[in-house]
Amino acid sequence: MMRILAIAGFVTALLLFAAVEWAARRPDSRVPSLGDVCAYVMRYEVGPVPVGRIGVFGFWWWLGWHFLAR
Amino acid sequence: MKQPPELTVDLPRAWDRPVVTVPVLACLSLVGGQLPSFSTRANLWILGTGGALIWLGLGNRVPRRPAPRRLGRGALWWVLPVAVFGVFEGATFVLSVGDEFPTFSRLADPLLTDELVRSAAWFGWLAAFWGLVRR
Repeated sequence: MMRILAIAGFVTALLLFAAVEWAARRPDSRVPSLGDVCAYVMRYEVGPVPVGRIGVFGFWWWLGWHFLAR
Repeated sequence: MKQPPELTVDLPRAWDRPVVTVPVLACLSLVGGQLPSFSTRANLWILGTGGALIWLGLGNRVPRRPAPRRLGRGALWWVLPVAVFGVFEGATFVLSVGDEFPTFSRLADPLLTDELVRSAAWFGWLAAFWGLVRR
């Protein structure tokens, strides 16, 4: 029962990601796409250090390592 | 003669087109999909491919799409899927009762043992990474 709850929760989250992205890609949408949100976060810099880019790249690399190499 | 910057246009590079990048990413993914988890080769492959993309993304070697200057209130919609995922990942991780209430990665592991699914996951990861490098 708990296993089904976990699967349902993760599937719901993935469907919500897809739904918000779909809404963002509609003409004249006020919702930014996930790519736009990432691009905005990646603009963040502290002095000359691109902290946003390093953080997003680091997170995405870790995600790949976690699922595909571990 | 030096042109004023407002008159110059960045021409797309010959290799910076889907007809080139998609097959390259597909080849990298097919190799990655053959490498089993916890192997040294898988770790080296992900270090090499990810390291190269980070190197490209932190330099000015690849043209970038313009980023939005600000996000409107509509960006708050993204909190919803992130929160739902976070609640379930947090709960399954903290309770830590294995397959009875599994984390997302525990659910994904059996799927990723299949080489075709693993290659597809590699392609998705690399394609998204390339998209981030271009932003």
